[in-house]
Amino acid sequence: MTQSLNKHCRSKHAQSSMAPRSTVSGWLQGKTIRKAGATANTRSSTPNQVQSTSATIFAGGVKDASGRTSEYFSMDDQCPVCKSDRYLNPKLRLLVSSCYHKMCESCIDRLFTLGPAPCPICSKVLRKLAFSPQTFEDLGVEKEVAIRRRIAKEFNKRREDFLDLLSYNDYLEEVEDITFNLINEIDVAQTEARIVAHRAENAALIEMNLQREEAYAHALKEHEETEKREREFRALELRREEEEEREEREKGKREIIDKLETSDKDANKLVAKTRANALKRSAARFASASHLQSSAQLLRSRAAQSTVIPDIPHVPLQDDYYAYEDKFRTKESGYEDVFSEAVRQDREGIMRGGGYMVEEAWGRALMCAVAALEVPPLVGLEPILSSEQTTAVHAPA
Amino acid sequence: MDVVEKANLDRQKRWIKDSKAGEGTYAVVYRGHEAATGKRVAIKKIKVGQFKDGLDMSAIREVKYLRELKHQNVIELLDVFSSKMNLNLVLEFLDSDLEMIIKDRSLVFLPADIKSWMAMTFRGLEFCHRNHILHRDLKPNNLLIASDGQLKIADFGLARDFADPGFKMTNQVITRWYRPPELLFGSRYYSSAVDIWSVGCIFAELMLRTPYLPGESDMDQLKVTFRALGTPTEEEWPGYMKLPDYVTVGQFPKPSLRDLFTAASADALNLLNKCLTYEPRRRISAREALYHSYFFGLPYPTHPSKLPKCAKQVAASRPLEDLNGNVEKDATGPGVHAKNNRLKRKLSSPVDEPKGRSIARRLDFTK
Repeated sequence: MTQSLNKHCRSKHAQSSMAPRSTVSGWLQGKTIRKAGATANTRSSTPNQVQSTSATIFAGGVKDASGRTSEYFSMDDQCPVCKSDRYLNPKLRLLVSSCYHKMCESCIDRLFTLGPAPCPICSKVLRKLAFSPQTFEDLGVEKEVAIRRRIAKEFNKRREDFLDLLSYNDYLEEVEDITFNLINEIDVAQTEARIVAHRAENAALIEMNLQREEAYAHALKEHEETEKREREFRALELRREEEEEREEREKGKREIIDKLETSDKDANKLVAKTRANALKRSAARFASASHLQSSAQLLRSRAAQSTVIPDIPHVPLQDDYYAYEDKFRTKESGYEDVFSEAVRQDREGIMRGGGYMVEEAWGRALMCAVAALEVPPLVGLEPILSSEQTTAVHAPA
Repeated sequence: MDVVEKANLDRQKRWIKDSKAGEGTYAVVYRGHEAATGKRVAIKKIKVGQFKDGLDMSAIREVKYLRELKHQNVIELLDVFSSKMNLNLVLEFLDSDLEMIIKDRSLVFLPADIKSWMAMTFRGLEFCHRNHILHRDLKPNNLLIASDGQLKIADFGLARDFADPGFKMTNQVITRWYRPPELLFGSRYYSSAVDIWSVGCIFAELMLRTPYLPGESDMDQLKVTFRALGTPTEEEWPGYMKLPDYVTVGQFPKPSLRDLFTAASADALNLLNKCLTYEPRRRISAREALYHSYFFGLPYPTHPSKLPKCAKQVAASRPLEDLNGNVEKDATGPGVHAKNNRLKRKLSSPVDEPKGRSIARRLDFTK
């Protein structure tokens, strides 16, 4: 009873909480250590983020945003099969089987190299490839994440796919039901049948939503890249500007000193004048800087646009002009006509270098001669007056 | 009133002039809109009266070719009508050009952006060449950018159709910095490859953000070109020493493009190299260029709507002297060039195309 209540509460915000918080918190307490030297916050691999992008689906273990798998690892690890521990073997690595039992790599090698063999703990038949790295301390969480990930792939309908909130909530409830059954191994056969039925019914929708998700992830990535480029560009400009300003200031100072040296005018006036000049210059620079910003905005709007209309592969010609087969062609050997004789002979050699192509002229002549021959005669000729004019004639009557 | 006049009046009523946007030697450009829909257009009023021998050649060319061409990457001529003594061309309204964008230092170009612009340029050019028309004045200034980012080839004032065998064409075309060496050597018989050279120069300019081959005179242009790409050998470009205005410019070694375009991909350099090939017959064609591996590789060309754009304010706050200098030839380009470039890219000499091509219908301005 309490279980079903708990389940019910969760399904109300099912979209956001994909794993029970209570168990996650224990895992967050900080026993996890990342392999591969990643220093990012472990929170980035919380299950609900795993849900959000398609790139995170992985055979085992959970990938974080940068694509690395974080692996659970603690000092008092011990292989339940051979009982060797981290004290004896500092390189001990425990992997999880598909029946969620841990064992060390050497045990796996020992037991499964020769082909499928029963699990030493629950005697389910396993293969060597069925082992995956462990991400969570609690294997229950590991299992739930795997199941939820699988379910989310199939049951990916969105709010837009339903007519009203009620039916959407019913759907979420059903999804939660199935997930719960799979996690706790209640009516597994029947539940699997339900999944298959759902898949058969909604194959097209599932595929579409999958593509939508991919497109979204792609757009997000592109957006990030543009922002990065833009930031770099701006930083470069800023640096250059600072440099310029510094030079300007120094030049201004030198100018004042020079003028004070050579001119016999009032010193205060001179200083004020030079200052005013400098102010004018900096204002001009500021104006150009604002222009720069606008160009950055332009770039951004382009990036936003680029996700809307996709670029299509090149189509050489967009009409069907060459689709018609010509019933004629120019003779390979050329023509012995009088008009082109001068060109063909080209005694002075003035035509060869210019690239005049008599073939082009022949082709044109042939085409002009026969181009319209296949056009059927115009049947049912319109009256000579066009429709506009006829109405104009009739209007006053 | 006869039928022609009435039709002309109807057309005239469809378009409303708003404000003056620029003035050139032979045309004034106005902003305007369509009366019925409010669609923004540019109206180019060509002054007729002051010319003894009728309309200016480039106006005729512009009408002649733009009437026929309709493509996403070519400026659209919506309508033509006459008013009093003037001829009015109604063109698509395009607010910026590639040159403004290249010069705008606040914009950052990604390799994908350049790829997108190049693809659109080649598409537009391929369309012109497919219809046997040489543009002959490609430069960033003439590649206009629509508000949805589409690039459009504009200013067909120097365009012409492919010459029949043995007919001379003028070599005094294409703004100098974008002019291929065969024209600099005075060739009167050339092909669509001249436009490709210009596109190559534009490609380089997009990568460098500064003109690639800025020669100060025709002679200097050759020198600058050879210094950048090496003096061609007879093998590389057979027969070029026999061209009418051939002069020896000096021997320059062939430097590696990689030294200048340090950030460009290998594919991009390969395409650039093929556009800037000396031998016109070996130069890549617009259609081949569109199938070049540069365009298919990653990154994909940017979607036109996401290409960098000139901020409107930047255009508005341009110094006045630039506007006043706007009486040069290129101000008469279609679309609205509200400003002129500081460097004054202009044709070095007037066009002396032999007049002889027939005009479909004589225009009567004597009313």
